[in-house]
Amino acid sequence: MTTIDSQHDLAHGGHDHHEGSYLTSRGSIIADIVNWATTVDHKKIGVMYLFAVLFMFFLGGVAALALRIELLDPPRLQVLADGTQAITGLNITPALGADPEDLAQNNLYYNRLFSAHGVIMTFMFLVPSIPASLGNFFLPLLLGAKDVAFPRLNLLSWYIYIAGSIFGLASLLFGGVDTGWTFYTPYSTTTDAEHWRTLSMIMAAFVLGFSSILTGLNFIVTVHKLRAPGMGWFDMPLFVWAVYATSIIQVLATPVIGVTLLLLLIERVLKVGIFDPGMGGDPVLYQHFFWFYSHPVVYVMILPAMGVISEMLSVHARKPIFGYRAIAFSSIGIAAVSFMVWGHHMFTSMGELAATLFSALTFLVAIPTAIKVFNWIATLYKGSIAINTPMLYTLGFLFLFSIGGLTGLPLGALATDLHLHDSYFVVAHFHYVMMGGTVIAFVGAIHHYWPKMFGRMYDERWAQASFWLVFIGFNVTFFTQFFLGTQGMPRRYAGYADEFQLLHQISTYGSWLIGLGFLGHLLTFVTSLVVGPKAPPNPWGGLTLEWEAESPPVEHNFHQEPVVRHGPYDFDRVVPPHCDEKDFPLPDQDEVARVH
Amino acid sequence: MTTIDPQAEPALAKPKGMRWESYVHGHHWRNADDEFDAAKLGMWLFLSTEVLLFAGVFVSYAIMRMKYPEAFINGSGYLDVKWGLTNTFVLLASSFTVAWAVRAAQLNQRKVLIANLIFTLLCAVAFFGIKLIFEYIPKWSEGKRPGEWFSYPYAHDPHEHIWWGIYYIATGIHALHVLIGAGLLTWVLVRSGMGKYGPKNYAMVETSGLYWHLVDLVWIFLFPLLYLIH
Amino acid sequence: MSFVTPITLAQEGPAPIDLGRDQISESSGIWERAFFGSQGFDSAAQASDGLYMLIFWFSTFFFVLLMVLMVYWVIKYRRRPGVPAPVSPSHNTLLEVFWTIVPSSSLLVMFFLGFWTYMERQVASSDALQLEVQGYTWGWTITYPDGTQPTWSTKYASRQNPDGSVTESTQPTPIFVVPENTNIRLRMISSDVIHSFWIPDLRMKMDLMPNRYTGYTFRSPDLPSGEDFSDHWVFCAEYCGNYHSEMAAIMRVVSAAEYRRILTEEFGEKPYVETGEIVWRNQCAICHSVDGKNGTGPTWAGGVFPEGERGLGYTVRFNDGSELVRDEEYIIESIQYPQRRIVEGNYGAMPAFQLSERQLIGVVEYMKTISDRGGELRVEEAEAAIEEGAEASEEDGSDG
Repeated sequence: MTTIDSQHDLAHGGHDHHEGSYLTSRGSIIADIVNWATTVDHKKIGVMYLFAVLFMFFLGGVAALALRIELLDPPRLQVLADGTQAITGLNITPALGADPEDLAQNNLYYNRLFSAHGVIMTFMFLVPSIPASLGNFFLPLLLGAKDVAFPRLNLLSWYIYIAGSIFGLASLLFGGVDTGWTFYTPYSTTTDAEHWRTLSMIMAAFVLGFSSILTGLNFIVTVHKLRAPGMGWFDMPLFVWAVYATSIIQVLATPVIGVTLLLLLIERVLKVGIFDPGMGGDPVLYQHFFWFYSHPVVYVMILPAMGVISEMLSVHARKPIFGYRAIAFSSIGIAAVSFMVWGHHMFTSMGELAATLFSALTFLVAIPTAIKVFNWIATLYKGSIAINTPMLYTLGFLFLFSIGGLTGLPLGALATDLHLHDSYFVVAHFHYVMMGGTVIAFVGAIHHYWPKMFGRMYDERWAQASFWLVFIGFNVTFFTQFFLGTQGMPRRYAGYADEFQLLHQISTYGSWLIGLGFLGHLLTFVTSLVVGPKAPPNPWGGLTLEWEAESPPVEHNFHQEPVVRHGPYDFDRVVPPHCDEKDFPLPDQDEVARVH
Repeated sequence: MTTIDPQAEPALAKPKGMRWESYVHGHHWRNADDEFDAAKLGMWLFLSTEVLLFAGVFVSYAIMRMKYPEAFINGSGYLDVKWGLTNTFVLLASSFTVAWAVRAAQLNQRKVLIANLIFTLLCAVAFFGIKLIFEYIPKWSEGKRPGEWFSYPYAHDPHEHIWWGIYYIATGIHALHVLIGAGLLTWVLVRSGMGKYGPKNYAMVETSGLYWHLVDLVWIFLFPLLYLIH
Repeated sequence: MSFVTPITLAQEGPAPIDLGRDQISESSGIWERAFFGSQGFDSAAQASDGLYMLIFWFSTFFFVLLMVLMVYWVIKYRRRPGVPAPVSPSHNTLLEVFWTIVPSSSLLVMFFLGFWTYMERQVASSDALQLEVQGYTWGWTITYPDGTQPTWSTKYASRQNPDGSVTESTQPTPIFVVPENTNIRLRMISSDVIHSFWIPDLRMKMDLMPNRYTGYTFRSPDLPSGEDFSDHWVFCAEYCGNYHSEMAAIMRVVSAAEYRRILTEEFGEKPYVETGEIVWRNQCAICHSVDGKNGTGPTWAGGVFPEGERGLGYTVRFNDGSELVRDEEYIIESIQYPQRRIVEGNYGAMPAFQLSERQLIGVVEYMKTISDRGGELRVEEAEAAIEEGAEASEEDGSDG
């Protein structure tokens, strides 16, 4: 990479400061463990979140691969159990269920697996992914603050997240649930005689919600009160805008899922009859409650991804982001509209008037989203574009997220949605948005911020090779599913009619490529931590405040409180901190003054 | 560029039993005013989440009332407005004293602060007592219970168990909030006794007070919905 | 890795089944064929496909445009050491307003097209043939206006195992017939959890709710020339548990004359035992075997098994500890009010079934043929039991 220059190491990295980096050991392992477990440092909490959510991503990913193996050639789950035993010696058959000959059991494993995949990926991975890990680590740095507004509350959020995850994993370890991540009533209030696992899983989602609320609350106050001197609202990096919009949704939508899940728990235990039609309740009321949260939460997952994409795109293209205000306002616009569109998940179970209204409102979301994509593409025009892993992931995001967004159109239109609802088309659509959008941006952002977080560079060739595996594998896996959906394949099916098999097989082979790609990334990261070359403070030439800090940052982030003197994306006017103008040359300043 | 002198940063371990006069704001804040504003903003945001939580309960109430108006009218008739009204006044009084407590902390009137907090807590106990002795226990023992547990033999409407479900859920979640609020105020009371709150440091008194007002406000909505509308 | 067919449509059905995936018209483009495989079979379905293709080409245009620009600029403006990025403005109000208005107005068009096509499904014409659809875990019961129910079914989910053996699914796939070129109205309700009645060739689905009726209207297609019938899948599209993926049905379009013949001659009255066996195959077999192996519910075969006594004439133990010898009255109660008494070791998963008197007697008689303590069925007794059941249900209504 052009940006790694040993001179920077000598000039800055080697400089002796009074404070050690936040990663500096306290002397003994026990002291370190105690220190990390009781830390209120946003960086350490962010790093702990990072590893926790990546672990959850791994678990959810394993469940996904198992699902794809079943669909290669159903029924297959017993084959999977035998294979696991052959390779690892672990007998997972008892964990899956009982009689392997039994089709009902096979389907039950499948149903539990897809429920596990859904619950882990949404509640334990996607919701906390970027905001809780990278947001925690970088929000104060981007604002030039020493910490988030309420550091102890931040630690509490982390422990609530752990508690919620324990509820969920306990339920999974003892067999899991077969309700799907949506817990639709009356299925979720009646299924499974041994119902403690279902209760524990609902409890998990309930508890995780609190973690999400407290993190969001903390971030909103941080953005309001802890911006560095000189940083007005429109001097904030776009990642901050995105996290701010996300936090608003978290604070305003999550309490509703809280009370919904509470009512669901009460319904299951006491049978009060709010949701259960057997007692006089209304199952559609549950769907309204559930989607009132769960639609906005989709934007909790995607908005931070859009934020990091704006950062990476601008830094690696060395170009002021095109239409800063449009991107910032569209984040807030998406957050606002997201509260009015939940009904589009229920076109098949609601009346004509409501369906029409929600369809119209749904199209509104497309507008700010389209504006963002146009602005990102326009940012590339006349840039100085470095092709490295974060940039590849950014371009990959633009490709995949555009497909994800555009395939939302036939789902928003009433007539076509009635065909595509609950089919593989929907599965493909939201994977293009959630994985092609959020996960791709997340992985790209981890590469982008890796040197800052851990003070080490990663191996570009390995990372880029892994990117291509993930990118190609992703398209093979999920593009086929659009065709499955339009041809009539319903989702959440453990088996299928003949005519769907070829596409299912292609999809499964693609999933193996994705798995291989992520394995490559894992190896890249581990290698980087062990033998990676030391990272300079500003390897990419970023202008936002986090690049003024050391890599990794010191305990209190900055040696001196930073003062903002230029915009976050003034690449044509400012030489980046810790960088040499030789590597990051500026254009003719008279021309810059003329153009702006 | 503002330089922060490392010497000016607060020591990691604050002295134990520190009184309000020697209060030092958190190290990541520029000044105590910012910290205080942030605490208030945070509390207001938290209160907005509480309002949304109760909004879920109110929506359930509205939908179920629309579906089964008879059951709700009958069910509401079983409630005694007298006790509901008493509890409303108890909470209103406590809201007044908690506001007074905040003022007392600002003016450094420690005795007034403590007296007001104690009165507020007594109100919480009275609220609970009335709720339990005159409402929950007699109703539960008559069989007016939620959902499947409903066994009241003289029900007029086959869906009265839903009314009782909503009643217990709404008042139960509210009672839980009273409990949490009382817990917070007890903590504030103990620390007031230690002299920790005064003009330089009363954020905790104020935010706990805000929380208590919310608890009161929710009851102001619950009372007419459950007791008065026929 | 074996590439065996996972699910084969059994050929022993009433007639060879061809789920008409080749019906799409020659004139449609390669993409349309790739997406849908088959022709949407009424005007609303075709309008929906048309809208889909419109959105598809609209999306493709913008997607290709954006991606070409992206790749072109990435290559053209790639970083060169020591060369600064060319200067260009970082916003342009006119351009930004333009690219806000263009998508917004296109979206408006999509919304209205979707809305009009949707409304076509909601309005029932007065001459529509109304079919009652009941969904339960895990199957469909279709009832014709005269009360007849289809008796044909096939095995959709026979699967080949990795070792080459074939596992026959217990789940039957009912086949129901509709006359060609007729307006049809579905009136749907679920007897337990939420299901969804999806006919992919119709591009339409709607949820079945346990507490209210839903439905939609469509027009059945003309038969392809030279064909006697055409078959179309129906899938359950709302997750409902273990056999969700096998909860299918086949809608067979036949000529009007054939439709009348099938309703009277094929689905019409049959001897009691035969009626009972059909009811078992179509509605009960998913949970109740007749070979002595317990499924989701107890087996119907009569005899002494490792789990205890099963079947008609043998003793049953309930969850509350009480015992009873299974008789006609108990069987009918279990069908109509399955939650009254739960057999020990079960948890009351069975939904209530509304069967005709003839079907109830048929089930009892059929059960007698598979129990060695079957004995003689006295029709009058069974009828008396049904009447008692009806009285009991009235009492339920008064004190519930």
